[in-house]
Amino acid sequence: MDKQNFLAEAEVAHKPVKKKSTIVKLVFIGLALVLGMLIAFCPMRFGFWNYKPFMSNIKLGLDLEGGVYAVYQATETDTDNFASKLEGTRASLQALLVSKGYAEATVVIEGNDRIRVDVPSVENTSDILKIIGEPAKVSFVLTETKETVLTGDDVKGASAMYSPNDGGYVVSLDLTSEGQDKFFNATSNNINKTMDIVVTIGEESTTISSPTINLAISGNAIISGNFTADSAQKLADQINSGTFDVALEQRQIDTISPTLGDNALKYGLIAGIVGFILVIAFMCAIYRMLGVGASISLLFYVILYLFFLSVLPWVQLTLPGIAGILLSIGMAVDANIVIFERIKDEYRNGKSIMAAYHAGFKKALFSILDSNVTTVIACVLLLLLGTGSVSGFALTLLVGVLISLFTSLMVSRGIIKYFLNFNSYNAKLYNLRRSKQYADLGADVTDAQIQADMDKELEDKRKKKEEKKRLREMEKNAKQARATTEGGDNA
Amino acid sequence: MKRIDSLLDKDLHLVERRKTIFLIPLGIVVVAAIMMIIFNFTLGSPLYLGTDFAGGFSVSVGLGSKLTDENYQEYCDKIEAALTEVPALEGDGKYNVRVDNMQKQGSGSTSTIRVKCFALKGVTEAQMSDEVFPAIRNTIDTKVLGFMPTIDFSDDGKKITLTYSEVVQTPDFEDLREAFAGKVIDVLNNGTENIVISGDAVDAVTRNEDNKKQIIIACESVNATDGVRRALAEGMKLVDMGDNVEDVGFTGATVSSELIFTAVLAVVLALIFMLCYIGLRFQLSSGIACILALFHDIIIMVCAMAICRIEINSTFIAALITILGYSINNSIIVFDRVRENMKSSYAKNMSAEDIANKSVKETLLRSINTTITTLIMIGMIAIIGVRDIRIFAFPIIIGLFAGTFSSIFIAPSLWALFQRIGKKGDKNMTVVKPEKKTEKTPVQA
Repeated sequence: MDKQNFLAEAEVAHKPVKKKSTIVKLVFIGLALVLGMLIAFCPMRFGFWNYKPFMSNIKLGLDLEGGVYAVYQATETDTDNFASKLEGTRASLQALLVSKGYAEATVVIEGNDRIRVDVPSVENTSDILKIIGEPAKVSFVLTETKETVLTGDDVKGASAMYSPNDGGYVVSLDLTSEGQDKFFNATSNNINKTMDIVVTIGEESTTISSPTINLAISGNAIISGNFTADSAQKLADQINSGTFDVALEQRQIDTISPTLGDNALKYGLIAGIVGFILVIAFMCAIYRMLGVGASISLLFYVILYLFFLSVLPWVQLTLPGIAGILLSIGMAVDANIVIFERIKDEYRNGKSIMAAYHAGFKKALFSILDSNVTTVIACVLLLLLGTGSVSGFALTLLVGVLISLFTSLMVSRGIIKYFLNFNSYNAKLYNLRRSKQYADLGADVTDAQIQADMDKELEDKRKKKEEKKRLREMEKNAKQARATTEGGDNA
Repeated sequence: MKRIDSLLDKDLHLVERRKTIFLIPLGIVVVAAIMMIIFNFTLGSPLYLGTDFAGGFSVSVGLGSKLTDENYQEYCDKIEAALTEVPALEGDGKYNVRVDNMQKQGSGSTSTIRVKCFALKGVTEAQMSDEVFPAIRNTIDTKVLGFMPTIDFSDDGKKITLTYSEVVQTPDFEDLREAFAGKVIDVLNNGTENIVISGDAVDAVTRNEDNKKQIIIACESVNATDGVRRALAEGMKLVDMGDNVEDVGFTGATVSSELIFTAVLAVVLALIFMLCYIGLRFQLSSGIACILALFHDIIIMVCAMAICRIEINSTFIAALITILGYSINNSIIVFDRVRENMKSSYAKNMSAEDIANKSVKETLLRSINTTITTLIMIGMIAIIGVRDIRIFAFPIIIGLFAGTFSSIFIAPSLWALFQRIGKKGDKNMTVVKPEKKTEKTPVQA
């Protein structure tokens, strides 16, 4: 091989690297990182406005933060299949809580006829009423004859909606087919009579409105009567919780403390920080500058992950959830390791550092995508089909996988490219080695030459600087000496 | 580092040694099975299921405003100590009540400590409500709340001492003396025979013995039977103190059968979808090998929980889901190499075993390194974290090792085996079909 040629080519190759714009980009990345960490972890004050870092907005589960509990007593215990009906009610209460974003809430049957609901992240006992609602039964009674047309058993569900025709907010009742028939018969037989809509909570019954039946109504019933958006929703919720298989009455409601002490969270965080530092140390030791790139993108991962966890409504962190997040930090660098090993392979088999970098990211892309798609499949199915804490955990895992794909494929790729822009000639910086077969490539000689040139350049610069400094120093000294002598003269 | 790199130049013949290697997980499963059988007979259940799965019972101890943040832990310790000591009503045995967790409920005058306990082994529900729950009430009354006295008879049978524990903080204890005097006589006369009290010998004193309050009764003779003891204890229970055992009762499992059912359904569906995806992107045999490796990991995790008899609670489900994703990840990295090596021009002359060996060898470093980073994190959690988090960390660590083991030793070997079987079944088919299309299209079986 013609060594001279290589050197000439390399001279050209090493010129057009845009060092200045790379520095700007790296500084920009650094600033983004610092800003991200600030808004993630640091509480700040701007005048009167206190900023709460989004890390503290993540909702914590029952075991870490406590919450509110309520005990409901079944009132009609002597029905057939009571046990299975109670279990059905338990399941629908759980479903109700999950639908309101409390995936970590637990609903348990206590004794033989009670249901206990533990809701995390709620501070006031009144909030639980907002979530579950005090179970209410709705019934439609003819005013004249006091004949009951519809009972709560005929109602499948209720929802609040806005209906200008009915004068604002109304509660729409979804009736069973049996209920629809009954309602149609009753309304068609009693046109121009009034009907009371009675809502029963516990022992207390109130007549919400007494509309006049204008025509036979088929389909769903609507309750109107001076509702606001909130009060309509509240009534709908109450009716919904009254449509359970078993009639429930609220017995007890109070706050609960966390089952785990403050230490659990503290030690979890310490474990996370120590583990994080060790992972970074490991990556930097094994992959050097590549590892540094991966570490920076890992920091981005942590910030982004915490951000999404604080924003997504179904996320409620229990202690294992926190362990899961920490674990995901260890897993997030996995994709980078696969890529870096690939880069090492490519370099080992004769590619230049730059070419190995491109080939590594390109070839590892599909294996990383394939392996993560399977995890995504599992998470999505668990999210769709799973209930309660299972779907919650699947969601946090899914978010973690997606973010780690972004950071390890895009962010670290960019950062490492900027590193390479600075120096793509020194394989030692990236802990890359040739195999025996490619131990002495002509290209490496040029690389080494360029590296030597660059080192020399740096050395020259340093020397120039030192020289300048020395000169300046000398000038200064001379000035001072002059000043003192002048001063001495004056005196 | 150099030594690890030189590993890459050696052929490890992992696939050829598969029979020996497969013995390792098989051994673990056998040990676990034996342990589970032993545990089933000695401890009553093959696996140690937590209250999340098995349900249990709860005790609510109402303490009212006596309970503050400062003495909360003290009370918790006291309650736990009392519960573990609950004596059986008949005989000398104990019920072996084990506490799962405690929490404070309510605030101010409604403050309650709620204790969740593991279900007792070998005790029927009827026995629980008839015997165990009253016994628990008694013990808490006596040892924690202190308004049930412990009763001692003097050797000569002429003195009965009722001792209320230090927790009793009634300033008006002295005022109650008179009331006590009358009450003791009532109790003794109505409850049991064979006691003759000598006149006005009842005296309630505050003795400064360990800050305990004692009532000393002098009498002519007394039969120190259990019946007398119980009658005295029950009769001399301090009431209207504001605190009591509010509730003792069963609690169901928080992890319902519905949750497990849907989770299993989701996992099965996920496995089917994964199989389809891997089958499309790789080969069907790779997919089956991945799924089998996954089953291996899950079985090993359950085995480890059984052997070490570690509590299985709802966090175990989370651990399983985590490993589910992790294990497949690792296997796919290997199969990606297999896919690539099959495309190379050398593949024609290589057997499936050789390809598997080569791929494992080439991906060994990344398998090890990815496991190390994950192990660092979970290891820190296990070392630094509290007990509850360790229960989560343990199965994960086992799962990580199992997952790495299966992706290196099991999945590729199985794949090679399937290739061989496929070849035997269909002689026209080559072992491996190297595709010479563009680089991006995956090889399809």
